Amino acid sequence: MAPNIGLYTISATLILDNEGERLYAKYYRESESHQYQTLSQQLQFEKNLFSKINKLHQDIILYDNHLITYKQTNDIILITVAPLNENESLVYSLTNNLNEALNILLDSTFDKITVLEKYDLVSLCVDECIDDGIILEIDPAILVSRVTNPPTASNVSNDLNIHIDLSERGLFNALSFASKKLGEKLQQGL
Amino acid sequence: MILRITYYISNTNQSAGGKTKKLHVRIYEYQSGFYKHLSIVHISSVLRMSAQLYKKNDAYSTSSGQLPDKMTIFQECLQQFNLSPVNAKKCRQLLAKLLRLLYHGEKFPSSESTTLFFSISKLFQHKDLSLRQMVYLTIKELSATSQDILMVTSSIMKDIQGGDLIYKPNAIRTLANVLDASTVSASERLFKNCLVDRNPIVSSAALISSYKLLPIAKDVVKRFTNETLETIQSLKQFPSNQFQLHEYYGSATTNLPSTSYMYQYHALGLLYHLRNHDKMALMKLITSLSDGSSLKNSLSIIQLIRYINKILSDDKSLITHLFPILSGFLKHKSDMVEIEACKTLIDLQHLINESDFMNIITTLQKLLSVPRTSTRFAAIRLINKISIKNPEKIIVVNLELESLINDSNRSISTLAITTLLKTMGAGTINDTGGEGVDRLIGKMTSLMDEITEDFKIVIIEAIENLALKFPSKHKRLVSFLTDLLRDEGSLELKSTIVDALFDLIKFLPDEGAKKLILMNLCEFIEDCEFTELSVRILHLLGDEGPNTSNPSYYIRHIYNRLVLENSIIRSSAVIALAKFAIVCGGDVSKNIEVLLNRCLNDVDDEVRDRASVSLNFIHNSRKDLIINEFQYDLGALEGKLTHYLNEAAFDNSFDINEVGVISSEELKSIDYNRKLTKLDSTSFAESSANERDAEDLTTNGKGGDDSNNDVANALLKQQEYAQQLSAIPEFESYGKLSSSSPASYLTEKENEFVVTAVKHFFIESQKLVVQYNITNTLNHLVIQDVSVIAQPDNELYTEDLIISLENLQPEQTGTVYVSFSTPNIDDEELLVAFGNTLSYTNKEIIDEKGNIDETDEGWSEEYQIEDLEVLAGDFVHPLYNSNFTAVYEQLSFEESAVVSLKNTKTLEIGVEKLLKQLNMMPLDGSEYVPSDSTSHTLKLFGKDVWGTKVGALVKLASAGGKVVAKVSVKSENDKVAKLVAESIN
Repeated sequence: MAPNIGLYTISATLILDNEGERLYAKYYRESESHQYQTLSQQLQFEKNLFSKINKLHQDIILYDNHLITYKQTNDIILITVAPLNENESLVYSLTNNLNEALNILLDSTFDKITVLEKYDLVSLCVDECIDDGIILEIDPAILVSRVTNPPTASNVSNDLNIHIDLSERGLFNALSFASKKLGEKLQQGL
Repeated sequence: MILRITYYISNTNQSAGGKTKKLHVRIYEYQSGFYKHLSIVHISSVLRMSAQLYKKNDAYSTSSGQLPDKMTIFQECLQQFNLSPVNAKKCRQLLAKLLRLLYHGEKFPSSESTTLFFSISKLFQHKDLSLRQMVYLTIKELSATSQDILMVTSSIMKDIQGGDLIYKPNAIRTLANVLDASTVSASERLFKNCLVDRNPIVSSAALISSYKLLPIAKDVVKRFTNETLETIQSLKQFPSNQFQLHEYYGSATTNLPSTSYMYQYHALGLLYHLRNHDKMALMKLITSLSDGSSLKNSLSIIQLIRYINKILSDDKSLITHLFPILSGFLKHKSDMVEIEACKTLIDLQHLINESDFMNIITTLQKLLSVPRTSTRFAAIRLINKISIKNPEKIIVVNLELESLINDSNRSISTLAITTLLKTMGAGTINDTGGEGVDRLIGKMTSLMDEITEDFKIVIIEAIENLALKFPSKHKRLVSFLTDLLRDEGSLELKSTIVDALFDLIKFLPDEGAKKLILMNLCEFIEDCEFTELSVRILHLLGDEGPNTSNPSYYIRHIYNRLVLENSIIRSSAVIALAKFAIVCGGDVSKNIEVLLNRCLNDVDDEVRDRASVSLNFIHNSRKDLIINEFQYDLGALEGKLTHYLNEAAFDNSFDINEVGVISSEELKSIDYNRKLTKLDSTSFAESSANERDAEDLTTNGKGGDDSNNDVANALLKQQEYAQQLSAIPEFESYGKLSSSSPASYLTEKENEFVVTAVKHFFIESQKLVVQYNITNTLNHLVIQDVSVIAQPDNELYTEDLIISLENLQPEQTGTVYVSFSTPNIDDEELLVAFGNTLSYTNKEIIDEKGNIDETDEGWSEEYQIEDLEVLAGDFVHPLYNSNFTAVYEQLSFEESAVVSLKNTKTLEIGVEKLLKQLNMMPLDGSEYVPSDSTSHTLKLFGKDVWGTKVGALVKLASAGGKVVAKVSVKSENDKVAKLVAESIN
């Protein structure tokens, strides 16, 4: 089989939960693919695939005439589906790097609840990585740098310019600021 | 949706009045905010209400993983996006929910999608960067199902020109989805500017957008060629604030990449489609990019390697220029590049010499031991691919392979085992091979306890394959299989083992092996829980047992079944016993009669019936009714029966004699071939059974496997030919078709006219019909009065008639028949070569419908095509026999010759050529030539069209690039022996 000379490299990106339910599923160029045109075909494929790979950390298998690479972390699996003759190492790197990028974006809590809560970050990140089956970027650091954080607060508070960060990090910052100031004061006093 | 409405109604019926009222108030509130294009306001409002209710019941619906309600999101989107001022945070969350629905597989109907699309486009006015990025993604996803999407083009283009760098690439990529063929040219200027942009991300986005636009606007994209070329060569860097969005990287900018060079990959991908018609330009591009460091990105190097592969598959002569480039990539810091280089080189292995090939193996060897699973997997997949055709080349990696048997990835260990079995096979011919097989089997025995059943099945098939190819190793392999048979296992597993053992009995030449397996099977049915398997084994015992040295041993085992088992097994045991009685005769027969008489009192009808029928046959010595000596050709039988039914001439009874009969020997030949082909393909189909890959690999091979398939289907094909020929009145009197050759090409496959020829022999009436299939590949010419002038160089062949072709339209295939009277086997000279010339009248097509000018007389032309030879192979069918030496000795007439084979450099090619020329079956695995050997013995067996057997023993020796064959042919007919010996060249 002649290698694929075009840029269309990836057939699908999937994120499934620990029961095989889809959280994110994007089949690229659906109309061109022969196997997964309809939703029921796709779901059947995901179901069978899930039973093949769940809890088996094999990273890469051939299944249903496709090359599958995947990463399972916590209660979710990130899966990349590519044509059978695609470069195995390339596809795996992509999965691995996308996984890393998502991990960074989700503050190292890459699990089902976080994915659903920060779905905007997840979908933007995948889109910056693969567009329509074309690999857009593979470096995790650059991927992260391309995804915008959600607007920090609602418009109202922005307008009033009052911004009190009550998250853990905010408190931590306040604490360190206070201790620094205290240290300075003490030094001056001495 | 409808379901939910009913639920709502019943709910309100049950609920208290106050609650219903409250809901009504809500409707009013929302209705004031509705838009007129919602045609069914009332139903929507009901839905809205139900959704509200639904949401109340489950406050944490989204966070607990449940999908948000489609209608709720739809309504909320319309409401939020039209607010003023827009709440950016809320909108982004809403868009995320909308995307979640889309990525979950929900689809909005076209009208709703369009409504959403335009309400989202209102957000273009908002300044928040993060919201805008999200907007672009959503618009891109919705563009496939919405209408009038062109409306947003101008907003997007405005953003590309003056928008913020954050969402500019997103805007460019979205633009490609929105544009259609008529509007692309309007954005040409814009794309060009972005292509040469200093920012790598913007440039990449423009490149892949152009790539996506190729199918709809190739001519516009073609004008980007110069910009694309420039992009490959240039250095583009991120702006300094690239990494400032996230605190994660903080101030540590030093370790971060300043560019990813992905734009090189995208530019190369695009450029191929702009330049693929121009080979010289591609070559220039490859050479300019391949030296040293112009390509920085691994993906772009992979792309370059694929270019090279593509060019080489079109023009093999360029290998000398391109090979150094490829082999340079065998050592690269990125393993994906190394793998791609290996892949390409293995595809091109026929162009590479031995020592260069070893470099590939060395790289693969290194990759086998890296920690990354995917890389090991890729490497072993490639090694397995090599092992199919050239197992001897990878013996050097055996040690690595053995350590991979216990790999944590099951696909890898499966591939390691199947590959090892192949290399072991190649090794058995050397002295050290024996140890290798023993060690491997030892390893697998220990592995067998830990693995799943389907994996075991793969291994069993591989073992069978090995035993078939290398009969001398059968003892160890058979005992491995029988041990496995005794262990616990499902029906499927046991069936596979029994299948494997059956095949070994059929095809192993050694009597000892047969006895060993039969005895093991006897033991197995003593304690077998599967009725199905017992029945099959009993049937086999009945077929094979009577011909062994001590039939009474088997009779005892079979009789035990009669006493102990259920009725299904008992009835098949009865038949098996009857076979013993009729074949062995004498005392055995008498004893069996006693046993069968007892069965007449069996409680089961079937057993009693079979016993009495069998007894009757034994008394009347009707051997033919108990034992199948032959079988009808089932494909032909089916064809004839369908034909009979279609004709509906039921006054005449169906004539079974018209159907071809296959003797059990011939059946075995077909089975054997099918088996070998199948085993070859299954063992590399890998555990996940990807048949496409398997097919792909076989077709990549040298075509040797195709001929195997041909043999298996030959009978069916011949049946087809016979039907075609009998439909032509001129050939009606010729009688039964004796043999048809496979089609051979008389022209290049790329010529104006492609001609293939099939030789049909009618031995009884001494006729030869040559069928010329002519394809007209010219699309502007019609050819008429097509015929072939065939000049035999043997005077004994005289031409009878030509059935020419009146008219051949472009892109069509027509057939010309030329019929000859042939000499008989007793005549001097049977071999012949025909010089062929195609003659025809040209007429040009004048309009689009393909009509020709009636007044045009055209001009006649002649076209020389290649000669067609009649070889001994045309008179011989391959035939299987498990004991070549014995049969060969029995044949009376011998003829020998020493020939230096023309155009043959290696033993392998010689063997392949002989198989083709003689059309005989290679036996005892003699078609596999061990590597590095300088001599080889090929054992061939077949049956000629006159019904006599032919055996050939060919000793091949190679020296100095030449192959010499010493041929001894033995036959029951001296003329045939002479014929075969003479036709080797």
